Amino acid sequence: MNIAMLDEHYRHLQHLEAAINACSLSVSVNADGTIATVNSLMLHALQLPASAIEGQHFETILLPVNREQWEGICHKINEGQAVREQIGFLINGTRPLWIEAGFSPILSDEGAIEQFLIIGLDITERKRSELRIQEDEQYFRQILENLPIGLQQFSPEGISMEMNSRQREIWGQDHPFLRNPEYNWLQDPLYRINGLARLFEEVREGGKTLKKEVLLNYSEKNYEGITRIYPVYFEATIFTVVVDKLANLTNIFVILDDITEKKLAEISLQKSERLLDNIIENLPIGYIQFDNFGFIRRINQTQRNFFNSPHPAARRQFNVMNDEFATMFELDDLFQQALQDNKALRVEKKVDFSKDERWTSIGREVFLDLTVFPVVNPVDKERIVVALVNDITDKKMQELENVKNQEFLLQTGQIGKIGGWELEVNNGNIRWSEQACRIHECSSRVAISLEDVLSFYTTESKLLLSHHIDLCIRTGKPFDVQLTIALPDNTTRRIRYIGQSDAVSGQPQRLYGVVQDITEQSAIRDALSRNTELMRLFFDTMDMGYVAMEPDGQLNFLNQKAEKMIGRKALTGSNIFEVFPKLSGTVFYARLQECIRHNTSQSFGIYFPLQDKWYDFLLTPMQDGGISVFIRDITESRKMQKELRKANDQLSNLNKNLLNQNKQLEDFAHITSHNLRAPIANLKALMQMHNEASSYQERELYLGMLHEVIKKIDETLNDLVEVIQIRKDVNVEKEKLFFADRLQRVKDILLVDIETSHIRITADFEKAPALEYSKVYLDSIIQNFITNAIRYRSPERTPAVHLQTWVENDNIMMTVEDNGVGIDMERFGNKLFGFRKTFHKNKDAKGIGLFITKTQVEAMGGSIKAESKPGQGTKFIITFRPE
Amino acid sequence: MNLINMIFIVDDDPIHQQIAKIMIERQGISNNIRVFSDAQEVLDYFRENTNVPEALPDLILLDLNMPVMDGWEFLDEYAGFQTSLPKQVKIFVLTSSIDEKDKERVRSYKFVSGYLTKPLSKEIISHLS
Repeated sequence: MNIAMLDEHYRHLQHLEAAINACSLSVSVNADGTIATVNSLMLHALQLPASAIEGQHFETILLPVNREQWEGICHKINEGQAVREQIGFLINGTRPLWIEAGFSPILSDEGAIEQFLIIGLDITERKRSELRIQEDEQYFRQILENLPIGLQQFSPEGISMEMNSRQREIWGQDHPFLRNPEYNWLQDPLYRINGLARLFEEVREGGKTLKKEVLLNYSEKNYEGITRIYPVYFEATIFTVVVDKLANLTNIFVILDDITEKKLAEISLQKSERLLDNIIENLPIGYIQFDNFGFIRRINQTQRNFFNSPHPAARRQFNVMNDEFATMFELDDLFQQALQDNKALRVEKKVDFSKDERWTSIGREVFLDLTVFPVVNPVDKERIVVALVNDITDKKMQELENVKNQEFLLQTGQIGKIGGWELEVNNGNIRWSEQACRIHECSSRVAISLEDVLSFYTTESKLLLSHHIDLCIRTGKPFDVQLTIALPDNTTRRIRYIGQSDAVSGQPQRLYGVVQDITEQSAIRDALSRNTELMRLFFDTMDMGYVAMEPDGQLNFLNQKAEKMIGRKALTGSNIFEVFPKLSGTVFYARLQECIRHNTSQSFGIYFPLQDKWYDFLLTPMQDGGISVFIRDITESRKMQKELRKANDQLSNLNKNLLNQNKQLEDFAHITSHNLRAPIANLKALMQMHNEASSYQERELYLGMLHEVIKKIDETLNDLVEVIQIRKDVNVEKEKLFFADRLQRVKDILLVDIETSHIRITADFEKAPALEYSKVYLDSIIQNFITNAIRYRSPERTPAVHLQTWVENDNIMMTVEDNGVGIDMERFGNKLFGFRKTFHKNKDAKGIGLFITKTQVEAMGGSIKAESKPGQGTKFIITFRPE
Repeated sequence: MNLINMIFIVDDDPIHQQIAKIMIERQGISNNIRVFSDAQEVLDYFRENTNVPEALPDLILLDLNMPVMDGWEFLDEYAGFQTSLPKQVKIFVLTSSIDEKDKERVRSYKFVSGYLTKPLSKEIISHLS
C-alpha cells in the first residue's frame, strides 16, 4: 500500500468520523474502564464538559442499574462478539440518557483490546415512554390484582387464562380453574345449570356486556360448634376485550362481585314486606286501601267478611267518590279530607246497611270507628289512602243501653211509687219528697212533724213505726217494715218504710230513707199465694212428679208425687242434689246445664238400679229463670220394651238361623251334585266296563280304577262330615286364647313344611292380643292360612306371611297377608271359599281348606273376605264377632 | 269306522279322562282323542290353531266343574271366536251335575250341541257321531 493510498484511506476515515460525530453519540473507553474520549454530541447530551468525564471510570456515567449490563457487554466483546444493546447513562448524575449503541473493540497490533468504541443514537424519549408503559402495566396489574372484586380472563373457548387474587379466593384453591389448566368451565354441568356458561356464550356471540345474579356457592360459618351454611350470591359481569387487533384476538373477562349482603338485605326486605302483608291481612279490624282516585285496591280478611265480599276478581269496581251509598254517608268527604289535609282522621260513623245489599248482607245499622290516613306507597311513590274500620256497634249499643237505663232509673221513682223522707232528730221535723207526699195522699210539701206522719197510719202501724224510729235514733239500727195507711175514704194502703240513721257513732243528726207504695204488689202477692195453692193442687193430682227449682238446684216447689219419687219430704229452699243424692253421677247435672245454656227443654231417662226404677225426666226452662222438672215413672213400659226387644232379637236370630240353614242346604245340594255325583258316575261307568270286559287284565285295570274312585269318595265324604260337624256345633266351647300362643302351636305342627319352604312368618298381635274362641277352630283357621301361604308361595321370592290383629267396631279383626302367587279375584272371587274349588294347577290343592275356614268363622258368627292380585299375594281379612 | 276325526275330552278328573278315552276307543268312533285337564289348556290350543282346520277337533266333551278355568268360562270365551273358526266344532257338555239350573244355562249357549250327564255310556257315545 503506498502513501497516497494510505492518505486517501485516512481522509476517508476522517470523513466517516465526522459523519458519525455529526449524527451519533460516541464514547471510547480504555481497556481499564476509564473514559478515553467523548464526542461533542455525547458531551452535549450528558450536559458535561469533556474535562469532567475524560479519565473518569466509565461506570460513573452509567445508570447504577446498568453497571452489570456493562460487565456483560465487556464479557461478550472479550469473546469477540459484536454487541448491540440499549444502555442507559446518567445526565448530570440525575436523569437517564438512553442510547441504542453498538459496542466494538479497538485492537492493538498484538490483537489485545485497547479500547471499546461505543457509538449510538439517543433513544431516551422512546425508552422513557416504553418504561412508563412498563411501569403503568405493573401498576395497573397491581390494582387489578388487588381489586375487591374478582376478575378473570378467558380465551373465547372458555379456558381460564388469568385471574386476580379475589377471583382465586372466590373459586377456592380446590377449584379446577386452579388445578387443571385444561379445565373448560363451559362444559361443567354446574355452570351450565346456573346459567353462567350460557351467559358467557351469549357475550362471545353478541359482543355485548351482560350481567347476571347467581348463587355460586355456600359459605360455612361455625357458631359454638354449630356449622351453618349461608348462600353466597354474586353478580357476574361478562364482557369482551380485543387484546390483539391485528390477530383479531378477543378475550372474555368475567367479573364476580359478591352481592350476598345486598341480596340478603333484599330478601329480608321482601320477608318483612310479606310479614306486613300478613299482619294487615289478619288484622282483627277492617283494612281498606284506596288509590288516590278513590278506587278500592285492597281489602283485608276482616273487612271482606264484613262486606261478605266475593273473590277480588269477581268484585265490581268501587269508587268511594261516586258510590251512592258512600256519598250518602259522606265517606267521600272523609276520603278527600284525609288526602287534602294529609293527616289521619278518626271518626265514628253510624252507617245504616239495612237497605243496602251490595256492600254487606249484615242488614242493620252499624257503628263504625273509622281511621282514615294517607300513605305514600313505598313502591310507586303514589299516594294512597288507608281506612281502618272497627265495628263498634256492640260497644255503642251498650252505651246507648246505659243511657236508657239511667233514664229508666229516673222514671222508676214514679213508676215504682218510691218517695224519700228525712227526719231531723233535733226538732222532729220530717221532709218528704214529692212522691212521698203523693203516697200519703197529702198535697203540701212543707215540713211536717213526726206526729203528723204517724197520724196517717193505723194504730198498729203507728206503734210499729214509732218503735222502729225510736230504736234507730237510739241504737242506729236500720229498719224495713211494711205498714198500713188508713185513707180518708176508708180504704187502706200498704207502705214499705225503710229507714236508717246518719250517725257513725253516738247521737244521729238525721234519719232518712224511702217509702214505697206496695199496695199493688201486696195484692199480687196475695193472689200469687192463692195461685200457688191452686197450682199445688193441680200438680198433686197429676200422675207425674213436678219440681220447680232454681238453675242451681234450689227447690221452689215439689208436688207430692215428686216427693214420693225422691223418697222423702223435701223443704222448699233445699237443694235437689242434697235431697235426691242419687241424681249425682247421672246425666241429670249435664242435661240441666244444657237446658240452662241453650234455654231449651231436655228429655232423658235415668235408671236407678237400687230401686229398679226407670224415670223419664223433662227439664223445661221457665221465663223467670227457673227450671221445671217433670218426672215420669216409666219402669213398667221400659220393662215391656226390653222384653219386646228380647223377643224380637230371638225372632231375628231364628230368622238368621233359618236363612243360614237354607243357604247350607243349597250348598249341600251343590256339593252332592258336583262332588259326590261325579265319582259315583265314575263308579257306574267302571262297573259297566268291568262287567263287559273280556280279559282278565282289563278287569284288573278297572278294579284298580274303582279303588281309586272309592278312595276319593271316602275322602270327600270325610270332608263333608267335618263341615257338617262344624255347622252343627253352634254352641262350641269357647275360651280365652292368645293369638301368639296359637300361632306358635301351628308353627310347631307345620315345622317341617315351614323349614323346607323357608317361609318367613311374622305377626303383630299387640292391638288385639287375645279373643274368646274355640281353640280347635282358631288353630285350624291359622293353620289353614299358613298352609295356604306355603302351598301357594311364589317361586320368584322368599315366601312370607304376616298376621295382624286389631279391634274395629267392637269386633276383633285379623289379617293374614302372604306374598304368594295370588288369585285372580275377578275370575275366582266368588268361588274362593267354595267346596272343592281349586284355582291353581297345584297337585296338593284339594279345595277344602278355605271352605272349612269359612265354615268355622261363620259358625262363630264372624265373616271372612279376601283381597288379592295375581303374582303379588293374597290378603285374608277375618272378622271375629265378640258374641 | 272312524266317524269322528278328532275328539277333545276336557275334564280335570283323571279317572273320568281314562274312562272316556277307553270307552270312545272301544266304540271305535275315533282314534284321535286328546285329553285336557282344564279349559284354559283347550283355549290356548284353539288360539294357537285358529287358522289350522286340520288341527281343530270335530267334537269336544266339556266338563263344567274344573279348576283354573271352568266349563262356563270356556263357553263364554269360545262364544267370542267360534264364528271365526274355519270349521264346525261340536261341543257337548258332559258333567255330573243334574242341576236344572245348569241345564238351563247350557241351553243358552246356542252353539252347544247337547247336555250329557255322567256316567258316559255306549248309548251316549253312539249318539255323538
